[in-house]
Amino acid sequence: MRVPLKKVTIRFLFLLFSPLTLPSFAQQPADAVPVVQVIGFADVRPNAKGNLKLENGNLQFSSSKAKTGVAIGSLDDVITGNDSQRVFRGTFGTLTMLAPYGGGRFLSLFRAKLDTLTIRYRDAGGGLHGAIFTMAAGKADPFKKLLVAQGARTSIPVQDDSNSAAPKPDAPKEQKP
Amino acid sequence: MKRLPVITVSLLLLFGICAGVTEFHAQTAPPPAKKVSAIQVLMIQSEEVKLPAEFQVSLYENLIQQLQKQGGFEHVYRDGDHSATGDVVILHSTVRGFKKGSEMARQVTTVAGKTSIDVHCQFTDKDGTTVLEHDLNGKVRFLGGNLRATLDFAKKAATLARDNFAMKRGS
Repeated sequence: MRVPLKKVTIRFLFLLFSPLTLPSFAQQPADAVPVVQVIGFADVRPNAKGNLKLENGNLQFSSSKAKTGVAIGSLDDVITGNDSQRVFRGTFGTLTMLAPYGGGRFLSLFRAKLDTLTIRYRDAGGGLHGAIFTMAAGKADPFKKLLVAQGARTSIPVQDDSNSAAPKPDAPKEQKP
Repeated sequence: MKRLPVITVSLLLLFGICAGVTEFHAQTAPPPAKKVSAIQVLMIQSEEVKLPAEFQVSLYENLIQQLQKQGGFEHVYRDGDHSATGDVVILHSTVRGFKKGSEMARQVTTVAGKTSIDVHCQFTDKDGTTVLEHDLNGKVRFLGGNLRATLDFAKKAATLARDNFAMKRGS
């Protein structure tokens, strides 16, 4: 049984370009991104866990106790960065610090990478606000792209990898400490 | 009785020196700051030092939260707030030094990995006349993330503002 050359070529092309197509599907952000609101939103306690999503032109943060949001058009700046945090944290993490023979210190070496999303926005009276969110590594940049696409401003341009051959030499870069 | 003139002259000299010192202090000490009912906090500036955005925002938000928490002012206005009029003192903060430590180094070694922020605080009135200047420092040495240094600074700055400008003593 002979397979036509045309079919073989098409299959070969699919295989060839599959590494390029798969990441683009993976970069599609989910509806709500799980975040920790470090500080900034009114009526939300610091370090509150919740979800961040874009809804009807608003950036919405919702947790079990509070739901608040800001208009995307009022965002003056959106900046991403990255950081790391202890894997064992909270009450259990504090208790591990009491572990004998430096066990707590050893456990401090296990760290998880995370992204930070910092926004600045103005309220109706012109007052400047800021808010900081942390989220899983790799989530902040796609979310920033969505925000900028919907009208948020940023002092550091989003680098679009799909159609830029080389980064501009004068363009400031995101913080990657 | 021979010693009486000596003692008198000594006392007079001592009195004169004390009076001189008091007068010198009176000349050099800044005039007592005017008490106001409101304070406006401007966004933290960091032209000289490259400060990550999350630290800048955290300094600003913690400062506002601490001023509201410690009390003493009827209103705490944000940068750009149109309603900040009348009897208000304006706080300008400029970062002069920043050292980002490592939370992991702090937890593992206890002695290394300190995060430190040096901020120059300038209080002005509505006309832009400086009424008080002070250098403050925020740091985290042992427990907590790097952003905790901003809370340390904010507490000190809020105390400074309350002690010098607040009409009523806060909590």
